[in-house]
This record gives sequence, structure tokens and C-alpha cells, in this order.
Amino acid sequence: MADDILFDLLHSEIINYALEQSKENGNKKEVDLSIVEYIGFAAGYKIMERLTREWPRFKDELDTMKFICTDFWTCIYKKQIDNLRTNHQGVYVLQDNGFRFLTNFSNGHQYLEFAPRFVAYTCGLIRGGLANLCINSVVTAEVQSMPSCKFHIHVQRTFALTSVWPSTGSDRSVETSCDQLCGKDPFFGEIIAAKSTSPTSTHLFKAEQFTSVQPRK
Amino acid sequence: MKLFIVHLFYVTMAVCVAVIGKDNSPLYIGGIGNDTNTDNELSRQWLVHTALDALEERLASNNSNTTGANTNNTRTDLRDLYLGLLYSTDTHKIYGYVTNTRIKLVLVTSSTSPSGSNIRDAEVRTALRRLHALYADAICNPFHLPGDQITSSKFDKQVKNLMLNNV
Repeated sequence: MADDILFDLLHSEIINYALEQSKENGNKKEVDLSIVEYIGFAAGYKIMERLTREWPRFKDELDTMKFICTDFWTCIYKKQIDNLRTNHQGVYVLQDNGFRFLTNFSNGHQYLEFAPRFVAYTCGLIRGGLANLCINSVVTAEVQSMPSCKFHIHVQRTFALTSVWPSTGSDRSVETSCDQLCGKDPFFGEIIAAKSTSPTSTHLFKAEQFTSVQPRK
Repeated sequence: MKLFIVHLFYVTMAVCVAVIGKDNSPLYIGGIGNDTNTDNELSRQWLVHTALDALEERLASNNSNTTGANTNNTRTDLRDLYLGLLYSTDTHKIYGYVTNTRIKLVLVTSSTSPSGSNIRDAEVRTALRRLHALYADAICNPFHLPGDQITSSKFDKQVKNLMLNNV
């Protein structure tokens, strides 16, 4: 389908562009993909208003996650998530056995070191979609063998927010938590974004590697 | 012929329409009509804000009902995005609609004008659904940042049309 490939190509060009930008900024070792994650966040945030228009009100968080796995995923990747797991304490693992951005690369471990680049956008997409539904989360991705990919969603509860948020001065974190309590979206707050790991290390996004960047205004 | 013109003049379904954000800040408040109560911005805001408490209350009761054991019939009803009549004063009736993304849409009809007094629930429902569609389009405008007031004149025009057309 011609319209599908347009999205794929645009996506890979955005990543190339982000790589060039981070090279220009002198980031030799690490690749800064926070801008890609931000683009995903904005897109996910906006698409959610459209997708949930004909949908009844969600019962709870799990109901929302099921929506992400079925309708949201079908809308973007033309397939459903293959497996959803949760510990019922705010951690959800979404497994896609044939993740669309990775299917063209390999069926094993070749190019594995580049895989994190191609999941950053989707992490942002999930996070943005959930943010619009008033669920604040940190989304990380894990690629062990090529076409399959796992997305970990850590839902940030309001009471735990000040401790989870990166330390950028006490007054800032208090202000953010107040915003969360009254249900305001963190769109103008700090965007938490993923940096890809260096090729030699294990190919995981981890919570410790999350850094904060100022969003564009 | 004269009768027809008079009829056209009064075919305004809603006198005021508002979009309220997640944090209860007004994103858009628009009004039309020759009604003095809705002519100025301040009284429009007052009208809409009187309904917000009722709206929050309705949402809260939704949550408690869905968690508790309840009959299937009321549950499907409460999961509806359209909340129905929230509040009515001597002169106005205020209807509410809350999207899944916690955006509140409020529609005010005038009960003194002939077309507003005998308005049906289904008409209000369709009007609010159309307003939701318009809002979703306005959000997808790349020049609009979520959380900001909606300044798009296209959106304004479309909403004014919606209020006039009686759907």
C-alpha cells in the first residue's frame, strides 16, 4: 500500500534528521532521540482526541490500555498488539511480535544496535496518547530479537510524582505535581525523553537513561 | 412570507457554547443571539461556570457507580459522553458533554425564545457530538498548542453555524 510506505519513509527520514542534528551538537557517543520522542508525543496527543470520539467513557486504566493495544495500534500499525501483560500496579508490557518499523530490517540480531532509534517515536506516541487521557507515564522499549518489540509503560501516580520527576529544583517539581493533581496535561512542562543506548551495551531503554529536555515553544 | 422571516430569526438553537479544558480553564466561549443575558462575555462565562459543579458531580457519581455493583443498564448509560441537562435557570438551560480526554463541552439554550424552549434532547446530543468533531479538528491544527485558548476563526465560524442551524 502506497500510503503505508509514506509513513514509514517519513519516519525513517525524521530519525536520520535527528541523528544529523545530534551529531552537529557534538554528541559523538550518544544519539539524542528526544526530539523524535517529542514528535511522537505531540502526534499521539492529538490523534487521541479523534480516536476516542465514538468511544464510551473508559472504565479504568486497564480498559484504556486495552484500547491502546487494539484500536490505537490498529489505527497506526494496521495490526493489534500481540500480548499485553500487567502487574496491576501501574506497569504494563505491550509486546508486538512483528513491529512494523523493524520488519524490513532482519529476522534476528543483525542491525540490532540500531533498533532503539526506531522505537523512540512509538514510545512518544504511546506516552502522548495516554497523557491526553490523563494518564502520565514513562514509556520505554526493549528489542531483543529483531521483528519483535516490547513496550514498557510505567504509569506515574500523582503521589509518587515528585520523587519520580527529574530533580530540577524543588519549586518546579511542586508546581508540576499541582498541575497533575488538577488534571492538567504536562504538555508545557518538561518532556521526558529517551536516549538510545550505546551500541555496545544491552539494547534497552531504561528509566535511568531518561533525560529531560526543554520542549520547543 | 412574513411569518417565515420571523421564524428564521428565532431559529437559534443555542445561545452560548463553551469548550472547557482539563483544568477547568475556558478554551473557547462563543455566544450569539439578541438575548441581553448572553450578549457580554462576562455573563456567558458566569452561565457556563454555574454548570461546572453539576458536571463534576455527575462525573464523580459515574465513577463510584461503575466501580460498585450496578445494573448493566445504568452502566451503559453512565458511560455515555453526553451527560444531558446539567442545570436550568429561569431563562437558560445548560447541557454538558465530557470527552474521554476530559474536555468539557457546554451548550446553553434559552428557554425564553420559542425555538429554545421546546428543544429536544436528541437535538442537543447531535449538536454536542458535532461540536466534539469540530474540536477534534481544531486540536489537529499544528498552530494550536493543547491547553491554549482556541483562537481559530474557522472554528469560531463553524461553531456559530452550528448554533444557528438548529441542526
